[in-house]
Amino acid sequence: MINSVRNTVLAILNKNNYGYISPQDFNLYAKQAQLDLFEDYFYQYNYQVNKENARQSGTGYADIKKGYEEVIDLFSVFLPLNFVASQFYNMPSVATTASDYYFINKVLFSPSQAAGGGVLATDFVEVEKVTHKKINLLRSSLLTSPNDIYPAYTTEGDLLTVFGPTGLVQNSIWCQYIRYPRDPQWTYTTLTGGEPVFNQSNPSFQDFELPLDDEYNLVSKILQFAGMSIREVTAVQFGGQLESLENQEEK
Amino acid sequence: MTYISAYQYYENGGNPPENANWGSYQYVSLEDIVTNFQLMYAGNHSLVNNEERYKILFHAKRGIQELNYDAFKEIKILELDVCNNLRFVLPPDYVNWVRIQVFRNGLLYPLTENIQTNYSDAYLQDHDCRILFDQDGNVLKPQYSDLDFERITSGLKSIYLNKNSIFYGYEGWCCDGYWYFDYAIGARFGLNTETANANPTFSIDRKGGVINFSSGMANEKCILEYVSDGMENGNDSLVTVNKLFEDYIYAYIEYAILSSKVGVQEYIVNRVRKKKASLLRNAKIRISNIHPGRLLMNLRGRDKWIK
Repeated sequence: MINSVRNTVLAILNKNNYGYISPQDFNLYAKQAQLDLFEDYFYQYNYQVNKENARQSGTGYADIKKGYEEVIDLFSVFLPLNFVASQFYNMPSVATTASDYYFINKVLFSPSQAAGGGVLATDFVEVEKVTHKKINLLRSSLLTSPNDIYPAYTTEGDLLTVFGPTGLVQNSIWCQYIRYPRDPQWTYTTLTGGEPVFNQSNPSFQDFELPLDDEYNLVSKILQFAGMSIREVTAVQFGGQLESLENQEEK
Repeated sequence: MTYISAYQYYENGGNPPENANWGSYQYVSLEDIVTNFQLMYAGNHSLVNNEERYKILFHAKRGIQELNYDAFKEIKILELDVCNNLRFVLPPDYVNWVRIQVFRNGLLYPLTENIQTNYSDAYLQDHDCRILFDQDGNVLKPQYSDLDFERITSGLKSIYLNKNSIFYGYEGWCCDGYWYFDYAIGARFGLNTETANANPTFSIDRKGGVINFSSGMANEKCILEYVSDGMENGNDSLVTVNKLFEDYIYAYIEYAILSSKVGVQEYIVNRVRKKKASLLRNAKIRISNIHPGRLLMNLRGRDKWIK
């Protein structure tokens, strides 16, 4: 999809010799545009939930929320967290789980692994996120103190602290999180006639991770960045109009 | 909690203790209650949303505690020997007593509660009645107050009950199994019917955590029937609810959360309150197990002549 987006953007920008953007600039704008759209999915999802609660949403093909769920789940990762010591684990990161997290959806505890019996998919227990303000109160409460069945966790920087279970080891704590999309990379090998030639087999190539129906939005967003770059107000306005038109149609 | 095979039920799969699963099908576990509530009653499209699990857990446990106090009718029974100190230490999960009996000669004799004071704390005092303290400023206490000492050593007067004796109904002292009476001059008025019982009486020192008995209870076997709060000494995996109350617990949690949440319309709070109350009524009726077969046996006593 990335080559198609780039070609479209360049086609619009080059009309009337408005300008040209280099592959490096395009990759920067593409990353920003993708992040912007990615984050917007969560707000759109919430908007759809509210619409459903207001009985303004349908089922079947009219179930818009389901579409957003599916897109968000494209970025879902389920992996064990890196054990540091005692009750501490590393938060998901490129170094430990190969991707940074945008949103931690759930943290799970494997009692069987903590007991030395290996990980069993059927006995995962959800670890509850508790705020720092509440965690000490929770621990001192007779009825709700964290334990093996109802564990809790807090986060500090890149550390996740688990309360309740004992005997924690590597693979005792698992995490399902939504990772950031990978940075798009439009790669090329040679210049032909002054133009870089798209090369998909380059090891650093990375396509957009958003679904195809977002190509329109990606083009309009990149157009706005590129228009600002070449100081062409018309391109910025055009990109903005495309985006607002898309938003109106969706709602 | 998963369904188990008959072999697991009757013999716990061959593992001790054999009776681990007996009667388990009557109950639903706390884990299931919390899980089911989160699954079915909480979420984006439910009345309850954005609530922490520990709040659900707290209200579930509170609801179970309340049910254990009366509605469940799950009485725990403990037998212990009462020694010469006439004291029965309350069990660790004791919340309230139902009945206290003495087990003597193969029969159970229910004891009556003595609401008069039969125990006391005491401070040591000098000859000017000034309270004595230790070097840390703590008050000094004797092992027993005089009131306790008199009771334990049978020093208190009580009513002698033996219809075949001329001293029947007289106040006297029981000491080492022998009764001693005042020299009988004039009449004696005012029998205290509260303590006029052949069996020993008791009084519960709740803060002290003991049941204090009258002197006749020494070296007897005491059977205590009591209720607990169902928290199983903090082991959440053992906390259960009778299935007849399952729906009530969900309704209780829902009500407890919604009634304390800001911005919930009062008509919704009222709706869940009524739902909770009616489910409790239904569950209580169900667990009472009133059916014609049971009524029949009671009603058969109607025509019995009272002699």
